[in-house]
Amino acid sequence: MSKIMTVDVLSSIKGAQPSEAVNKLFEVIKNANSTNNNSFNNNHNNCVSLNDLREDVVIESSAIEKQIIIENFPKEKNGYLVVSKVIEE
Amino acid sequence: MDSQIHKIHQQLANKEITCTSLVQEKLDLLKQNTNNTVNSLLDTLALSLAAKVDAKIKKGETIGLLEGIPFGIKDVYMLQGTTATASSNLLKNYKSAYTATAIQKLLDAGAIPLAKENCDSFGHGSSSENTIFGAVKNAINPDLVGGGSSGGSAVNVAKDYTVFSIGGDTGGSVRQPAGYNHVYGLKPTYGRISRFGLMAYASSTDCVGPIAKSVEDIRIVLNVMSGKDIKDQTTYASAEINEDSILTSTEIKTVGYFKNFIESEAINPEIKTEFLATIEKIKAKGIVVKELDFFKSDILVSTYYTLAMAETASNLSRLDGSNYGNRIEDKSLKESYAITRSENFSEETKRRIVGGNQVLSQGFSDEIYLKGLALRDSISESFEKDFKEVDVILSPVTPNTPPKIGNSLKDPHAMYLSDAYTVGFSLGQLPTLTIPQGTETGLQITAAKNNDELVLKFANFLKDTI
Repeated sequence: MSKIMTVDVLSSIKGAQPSEAVNKLFEVIKNANSTNNNSFNNNHNNCVSLNDLREDVVIESSAIEKQIIIENFPKEKNGYLVVSKVIEE
Repeated sequence: MDSQIHKIHQQLANKEITCTSLVQEKLDLLKQNTNNTVNSLLDTLALSLAAKVDAKIKKGETIGLLEGIPFGIKDVYMLQGTTATASSNLLKNYKSAYTATAIQKLLDAGAIPLAKENCDSFGHGSSSENTIFGAVKNAINPDLVGGGSSGGSAVNVAKDYTVFSIGGDTGGSVRQPAGYNHVYGLKPTYGRISRFGLMAYASSTDCVGPIAKSVEDIRIVLNVMSGKDIKDQTTYASAEINEDSILTSTEIKTVGYFKNFIESEAINPEIKTEFLATIEKIKAKGIVVKELDFFKSDILVSTYYTLAMAETASNLSRLDGSNYGNRIEDKSLKESYAITRSENFSEETKRRIVGGNQVLSQGFSDEIYLKGLALRDSISESFEKDFKEVDVILSPVTPNTPPKIGNSLKDPHAMYLSDAYTVGFSLGQLPTLTIPQGTETGLQITAAKNNDELVLKFANFLKDTI
C-alpha cells in the first residue's frame, strides 16, 4: 500500500517530470495566507438536491450512437473489439 | 454594432437572400481563410440544412429568429457524426457519438453549424497555438495570436466568417480571445448552460459561452442555450432575458473595480490609462465608482491553475486509447496507455496532467490542493461581500496586448500570468462579459451569480457611454 508512485507512473506519461513553470505556481499557494482553512465548510458547492435526482433508469442509446462508438474503437478482429494484453500484476 | 441575427433574419424572411447562398458564402470564406480558424468544415450538413430553410420560406412558412443563422463550434463540443478533435493528436479521428445539449438547442432553433473551430488542445492554453492545426492568427493583426483557448471561434466572428460562435470558457477562454479580436464574449454564470457534450477540462469552472458582434446577439444565443439539463446536474433553471429589459440600466448605481489590478506593475501603461479614462466617463454619468480590494494576481492565477490542473488530470485520465482515440500498441495494456498518452498529448497538456497529479498526491494535497480549495472559498466570499457594495465590477480583460505568435510557447509561466484578470471570475462562477471597448483588449463586466441580465444591461449602457 505504501508503494511510492512517481508522477510519470501516476500520469501514464513516459518520462514525465514536474515542470519549473508549474512548480512556481504551487510555491505561491504554499506561501499564501488563507483566512478559511476548512475547505469543506463552504456554501459554494453545486450539489444537486436529493429531491432533484434523476430517475435511476437505463436509457438505451440510439442505433447511430452505438454504431459510432464501435467505429471509434481502435481495433477490431473477427467481430470482436481488441485491447492489448491485460495487466498481470 | 447592431444585431446581425435580426438583420439576417429579416433578409431571409423578406426573401432578399437565400439561406443556401448565405451559407455557401460563409463556407467559402471559412475554406479560404488563412487565419487557421477551422479544424473541419461541415459543408454537407450545413448546405442540406440551408436547403430545408429555403424550402420553408418558399412555402410561405414563418421561420424562427435563429433559423438559417450560420454559426461556428469550438472543436471541443460533440456534434453527432462529425469529428471532435479537441485540436489534439489523440482525438484527431474521433467521431462524436452524440450531440452536446447546448449545440442541440441551437440546432433545434434552426441555427446552422458551419465548422468545428481551432482552439488550444483540450482548452489548455491562452493563445490557440497549442494545436495540431497550426496557430490561430489574430483577426486584426495576423502576426499576433488569436487568443485562447477559443481563438478560432473569436477570429471567425471578428472576420464575419460566422454570425456567432460557441466557445468554452474555463479560466478566460471565451473572454480573452474576444478581447484580443474586438468582439463580445460571455462566460455565463456557472451552471446556466449545460456542459453535457463539452469535453471536460476543469469541471468546476467549465462554461459554455457565446461569442458575437453585439450584446443583442449574445442575449439571443444565451437564452436559447440556457436551462436545466438532466444530463448535467450542476445546471439550474433561469429566466429568459427580454430584449427590452436590457435596454435600460437605471438600477446600476455603483460600479467597482479592483485597485490592485490597475496599480499592478504588470499592466501595460496604455491599458491602464484607457481603463482609468473609462472610469471617469462612467463617473461623469452620475454613477458612483468604488475601488475594491482583491486578492493578488499571482494568488488568483496559482489557485486557478492548481485546481484546473487537478481536475484536468482526472478528466483526461480516460484518454488512454483503449476505447477510442489514436491507440499505440505496446507489450502490455499499461505500456500501451503510457505510450499512447506520451506520443499523443501536447507538451502543455502533459505539463498540466503532471501538475495535477503532483497536487493530488499524498503529501502534497494538503499544502497545495486543499489550500487551493480553501483559497477559492475565500475568493468567493470576497465577491459576495463586494456585491453587497457594488452592482457590477469592471476590469480590463488582460494586462497586456496580444503577444506575437511563438512567444507564449517559449514561456508557459508568463502565459499563465496573462490570465490574471479572467481566472478570479471563473473561480467565483460569476457571469462576466467581454466588450470590445474601453481598452485595446476590451473590458470585462461582472455581476453577482445568476445576474447575467445585469451584465448585458451594463454592456448596453457602456456602448452608448464610452
